[in-house]
Amino acid sequence: MSGTTSTTRRSVLKGGLGLAGAVAMPAYLRAQGAPIKVGVLQPLTGALAFDGAQGKLGAEAAIKIINDRGGIKSLGGAKIEIISGDARSTPEGGVAEVERMASEGAVAVLGGFASPICLAATQAAARYDMAYIVDVGVSDQITKRGLKNTFRFAPGFGMVTQQALDNLVKVNDAAGKAAKTVVLVHEDGLFGSGLAKLMQAELPKRGFEILDTIPHPSPARDMTNIALQIRSKNPDLVIPSSYYGEFVLLSRTMQQQKIKPKGIYSVLNGAASNFRFVKEFPEAAENVMDCNHWYDPRKEAAVALRKAVEASGKFFTYNTMLNYSIALLLADAIERAASGDRAKIIAALESSTFADHIMPYGPTKFVEGQNTGAAAVNTQVQGGDIKVIFPDSFANAKPVFPVPA
Amino acid sequence: MNGRRTEAVRSYGLILAVAACASLAPLFVGSNVALNAMITALIIALAAQGWNVLGGFGGQFSFGHAAFFGAGAYAVALLQTKFAINPWLAFAMAIAFAGLVGLAIGYLSFRSGLRGSYFALVTLAFAEVFRIVANASPFTGGAAGTLIPLRISPANFQFSDRAVFFDLLLAAIVASLCITQWLKLSRFGAYLIAVRENENAAQALGVDVLDVKLKAITLSAAMTGAAGAFYAQYFLFIDASIAFGPWISVEALLAPIIGGLGTVFGPLFGAVILHFLGEIAKSIGGRIPGLDLALYGALLILVIAFARNGLMGMISARSARTTGRGAA
Repeated sequence: MSGTTSTTRRSVLKGGLGLAGAVAMPAYLRAQGAPIKVGVLQPLTGALAFDGAQGKLGAEAAIKIINDRGGIKSLGGAKIEIISGDARSTPEGGVAEVERMASEGAVAVLGGFASPICLAATQAAARYDMAYIVDVGVSDQITKRGLKNTFRFAPGFGMVTQQALDNLVKVNDAAGKAAKTVVLVHEDGLFGSGLAKLMQAELPKRGFEILDTIPHPSPARDMTNIALQIRSKNPDLVIPSSYYGEFVLLSRTMQQQKIKPKGIYSVLNGAASNFRFVKEFPEAAENVMDCNHWYDPRKEAAVALRKAVEASGKFFTYNTMLNYSIALLLADAIERAASGDRAKIIAALESSTFADHIMPYGPTKFVEGQNTGAAAVNTQVQGGDIKVIFPDSFANAKPVFPVPA
Repeated sequence: MNGRRTEAVRSYGLILAVAACASLAPLFVGSNVALNAMITALIIALAAQGWNVLGGFGGQFSFGHAAFFGAGAYAVALLQTKFAINPWLAFAMAIAFAGLVGLAIGYLSFRSGLRGSYFALVTLAFAEVFRIVANASPFTGGAAGTLIPLRISPANFQFSDRAVFFDLLLAAIVASLCITQWLKLSRFGAYLIAVRENENAAQALGVDVLDVKLKAITLSAAMTGAAGAFYAQYFLFIDASIAFGPWISVEALLAPIIGGLGTVFGPLFGAVILHFLGEIAKSIGGRIPGLDLALYGALLILVIAFARNGLMGMISARSARTTGRGAA
């Protein structure tokens, strides 16, 4: 501003007002059918990069399908545009990306993966009244804080573990109570420690004796010690709760050391229901049971997605399934809200009864942000494939337990 | 004496001028994205200011400032959530608590005569022990961490406008700069530098080495603890690996080393420039995840290769060349 231009104070004010108006005006008013921006937040770098990429894959696949089908019809066929964010596997990374998404006009955010990222990122989104649908993060704190913008489509920790315990008793009873003793192996972070604590309280009530509880850090590079401890205790059942790398290491070490309990029953395990593990280490993976998020094999869209993902040379993991589903859930809410207004989308999600997803849940029903219809599935690796053993309504295999020596 | 006074006036004036410029930043950057990035950088800068007191002036290289950062963060969070103490009061108590943790760790390690790499290792070990304890103890929320409820109100130390938080943080930075400046010119600071240069000689000249080191680590821990308390109050969630994880120990020592060890502005400049480089790398790296981190690493190597005494060292060397005087 040198003062030599012919700019008057009045024209500057006018221009400024116009600019302020343009900025303040929500994106959806600018043009009918203008793209609706949706944030897809995943840890694309750092320790959780594999999971993040798998999650992003699912959200992208769903949004591509929505756009190919003509976008959001109630908004004149508006396309959904992804704002991709890398949470760098840290909560503050997630917050920074949510801030960016809000400033770039996102109407809602999907994903997060790890509970600490979800906890921080949902709060950041709450400042902008921006709906946030959590994909995986199982910590029960996520939905119990009274944040109106936060929704979790998948079951939380409490729901999954309850189901895991019930089904464990069923499997064991069906085998004539073959397992009496248990060793717990868990990673020492949020989910592993929480799970171990719960198991320590609940298993003895259900007639199991816990011989030992062995924590390990993530990442861990060697599981030989833990495998040897398991051997010395010689339990009927090993219950591991670890992320992908550590469980793969443990199961391979157990295989090498010829440690063969009657069963491995994991809960929310990073590897036990992961096709990558099954494909790369088929012998170690065989007969491992898991209670985890899983797709509904009766649904055509689910089978089609699995084929498409596998055809592209990727693995079909629960991150992909869940993110695919929540992207569809959000699109449905935007469709019903008939608006890109953040508050209206939150209202539409609150009243959502969306059933066109690929999980075995039925229509969504959110109570305080948690989808109460959500449920986990028990799977077992059988013959190099991941089979559903519970619930009975769509199980495609019977549990193999105890594992034949 | 007169020369010292004019130097002091000039230095404090410079601190105020830098602060005044920085406080105007929220007026120019309307976006919360930039504000959020600046707040993160300033939290690191404050932690680094703390590290610089002990490492830069005292020559005691700590690899475990996470212990103090985490002590401040957990104290502010737990005092609010478990004891329903007002967040502002909790904040002040957290700083004092972090100072006490510093004093305790200092007493245990300095009294045993741990120096150099042994001191570095023992601080690293303390931070790790704290991490494991916080991760296991139900009192700290175990591995689930501690969540401060989102209740936006100035009385709760939570603000709807991020600029307010930025200004508060800036005020803390100014206070830390003033303390460092005072340290540089005070008798205590002279003792501390003497200990850094030659501990045995300082002792022979009558400096109470243990006392000086203990004061330094307490001050250093309190500053870094304040950074931890700001972190907890800003993100409202901490867990053991955030509060006591090695990441913050590394950030706290990297910033002063890049910026200039034992200088007043070094840690601040180091933290801001590191963060700025990170953001630039992010915008260049764009859509390929991870590329920005590789670029950041490359930039870091270049900075270290061309500015061996840190950025402040480079600046003072240049001014010495132009004015023909020795570096201040």
